Amino acid sequence: MNQNIKKLGILIICLLAVLVFYLSYLNVVKGPVLAVNPHNRRLQEYESQIRRGTIYDSNGIVLAATDFSGEKNKRVYPRGRETAHLLGYISERYGRDGLESACDRYLLGLEGADRTRNYINKLLGREQLGGDITLTIDSDLQGLALNMLAGRRGAVVLLDPETGAVRVLVSNPGYDPNKLGEIWPRLSQDEDAPLLNRAVQGAYPPGSTFKIVTAAGALAAKPDAARETFNCRGFLEVDGYRLDDTAVHGRIDIKKAIAVSCNTTFAQLGLDQGAQNFVRTVKAFGIDRDPGIGIPVRPGSMATPEAFIPTELAASAIGQGELLVSPLHMALAAAAIANSGDLMNPYLIETVKDSTGQVLRQEEARHWLNVTTPQICGIIKDGMVDAVRSGTAAAARVAGVQVAGKTGSAQNPHGQAHAWFIGFAPAERPRLAVAVLVENAGSGGTVAAPIAGQLLSAALNKGY
Amino acid sequence: MSGVFYAAPHSNIKGPAGSRTVERNLLFLAALYLLAGIMTLYLGEPGVRVVITVAAGLTVAAVFLLIHFYWKVVGFRGDHYLLPVTAVLISTGLVFLFRLDPYYGVRQFIWILLGLGTLVFTSRVLLDIRFLGDYKYIYALLGLIALILPIFFGKVQGGAKSWLDFGYFQLQPSEFVKILLVLFLASYLAENRNVLAVGTRSLGGISLPGLSEWAPLVVMWGISLLLLVFQRDLGAALIYFGTFLAIVYAATARIFYVLFGLGLFIAGASASYYLFDHVRARVLIWLNPWPYIDNIGYQITQSLFAIGSGGALGVGLGQGYPGYIPLVHSDFIFPAICEELGLLGGAGIIILFMILIFRGVKIALRARDEFSALVAIGLTSLLGLQAFIIIAGVTKLLPLTGVTLPYISYGGSSLVANFILLGLLLNISHEADDSL
Repeated sequence: MNQNIKKLGILIICLLAVLVFYLSYLNVVKGPVLAVNPHNRRLQEYESQIRRGTIYDSNGIVLAATDFSGEKNKRVYPRGRETAHLLGYISERYGRDGLESACDRYLLGLEGADRTRNYINKLLGREQLGGDITLTIDSDLQGLALNMLAGRRGAVVLLDPETGAVRVLVSNPGYDPNKLGEIWPRLSQDEDAPLLNRAVQGAYPPGSTFKIVTAAGALAAKPDAARETFNCRGFLEVDGYRLDDTAVHGRIDIKKAIAVSCNTTFAQLGLDQGAQNFVRTVKAFGIDRDPGIGIPVRPGSMATPEAFIPTELAASAIGQGELLVSPLHMALAAAAIANSGDLMNPYLIETVKDSTGQVLRQEEARHWLNVTTPQICGIIKDGMVDAVRSGTAAAARVAGVQVAGKTGSAQNPHGQAHAWFIGFAPAERPRLAVAVLVENAGSGGTVAAPIAGQLLSAALNKGY
Repeated sequence: MSGVFYAAPHSNIKGPAGSRTVERNLLFLAALYLLAGIMTLYLGEPGVRVVITVAAGLTVAAVFLLIHFYWKVVGFRGDHYLLPVTAVLISTGLVFLFRLDPYYGVRQFIWILLGLGTLVFTSRVLLDIRFLGDYKYIYALLGLIALILPIFFGKVQGGAKSWLDFGYFQLQPSEFVKILLVLFLASYLAENRNVLAVGTRSLGGISLPGLSEWAPLVVMWGISLLLLVFQRDLGAALIYFGTFLAIVYAATARIFYVLFGLGLFIAGASASYYLFDHVRARVLIWLNPWPYIDNIGYQITQSLFAIGSGGALGVGLGQGYPGYIPLVHSDFIFPAICEELGLLGGAGIIILFMILIFRGVKIALRARDEFSALVAIGLTSLLGLQAFIIIAGVTKLLPLTGVTLPYISYGGSSLVANFILLGLLLNISHEADDSL
């Protein structure tokens, strides 16, 4: 019997030992994440004890700071609605969102040496200090992009295809985060959803801009497709359904098809490569994923594999059907082509410094996905250059610099088409990739392309 | 054996009669620990209310030492480590209850004094526990009645209908019945051990037990289900059944019982999963509480936040925000300890329970007869399982089942019952066979 008792004792002690290990895991590994979870009400308490850090843009302009002059600390956002969605808010009543929430651990000094320092500060009754954040965002361009949306619902994303640094991330309609308390009831009721960050959380049919993805898939599945020509009769019949094109384009090759945005050709290219290939390409572009830029991104969605019947495949191939993506995803698609198929990891946070100015984290360009080959990118790029030079995207032209682009006018059940433009510049050695979306505004070539052109021009002038 | 259980020269399970030096020294340390905690509270927020805290702390420390001196005078030879380890657990609970809500602190203080009185009483009156084995069917019946009473006259608290309301205080019979259960099983198994350890029938070379052997298993399973179904007390049901399996295994070493028991357990658990909404909800929030953070998942996520916010050293006594956790004074006191005393504090509590289990196993191994040995290992398993189940529950390692953390959580029934348990273990060690 003593043997049994010993075994039983060992078992129970082992069970308790498992608890010690699990508790250590919970405390050491999960602890930092749990501590800054936006639902953790302790953050509000820390807020009142800690001098929350400042958020700067890439040029050192203050985007968010805390005003300590009043009775109660107040968070101020000098750029107001320009950075509203990007930075989010911290509110006792309405919770936490955006980069403010995502960077709590740094801004509240809960990370690195600050953690220990603030522990000591707290014991000694001294002020606790948070760290500072520098973003990759250029607030001037951010403001320009918002101005050009001119009150229309939409989003603009501008990023550096060589590094992944995001320069502009704008969503409209927005709100003044400095007055959140007063306007919240109206914001949460508003049908235009001003609290939604359309640039990363929006779900839109990408329309013809998606043809560059379809083209990449078709060229990967069948390299000869680059030399083939297609005969566009102005419509395509798929399983008895008639898919109308905007014009009768006649005999064209794939580059020309991009330039004139021929639906017939791309629907056919989608059908030719098959659903499996098409889905694989969409995934290769990272469209079904959240790239992890600091704030949550809605992964793009498409029809389930079983639902990819020929009509759905033909529709998805021209960016319609059940396909829904965010503007950020489309900017990344343009960036992938711009950077010869090597898609860099997009990021918003450039540097994190602790309260003493010591650099805690310095973001560097990181490779994210191998999307496609340089050859395929070259073919698509030629088509996109032609689209700006003489095709549908002519309004995106910038004097003295060759822009490559693709427009889209995505049909949707909410009214007029969504106007899209994606592109990059300079075409020879791209340093900027852009995506512009204006909801229910009509043609991408007339509405979205000029916004992209002006933004690219301004950014290039600033030396990006 | 000495290879497994190392004992320092002075740590004999029974010191020389009349000299309880080890216990005294350790109790002084426990008293220092308690006073340090009380002083922290006092310095943090001086005032009339805190004077009561200081008085309660000093009294508890003094009573623990008085018990030691009493035992020394009467020549009690019980284990030296159980009382000091318990004193540290009790102190932690008392300090945290005063810190969380002085209302519970004061009540817990009174319950601690009552519990310590029960401990002394047990160590005198039930010194020779073997006579307890003679009345097993009487208290089996008593236990069953005590369990059934709340079903008809009970009060629902924390989702479980396992409380009897007496106006000034409430009693949870299942806390006491679990000790009766151990005594009954130990007595029954000490008598029938040899019959049970070998099968009576055989089927194709595998010896199968007869009806008389598996019947008690099924009865026990039934009692656990009774608790589960009528009182909605998942925690108690789990502890009863676990303790039962532990004693049966210790007595017979037959893996058949354990496997059969586990089979019954899985069957019962799956059936209740499909039958009862509250069981399904517990599993749901165990798998992923985050979508339910505003309703049924609130408590467990608040518990995780508290544990995650503590860090290795904790934010310091009185400096955290454990008040966000519902029921923090009772089932959820452990995350409060983790937040304010950190990983080291939390792990320290678990290690103290490991020491209690270790001493309990030693006592069982040296017990004078089989009945005593089975009681000792049964009570030890009971204590260990209860600590494991609630700590695993609040850390989301297992689905949450509401039970108290022994000696720490607020709760009179739990406290007094666990002091009786402690007294019985001490008595068995008092009687222990030195020749081993």
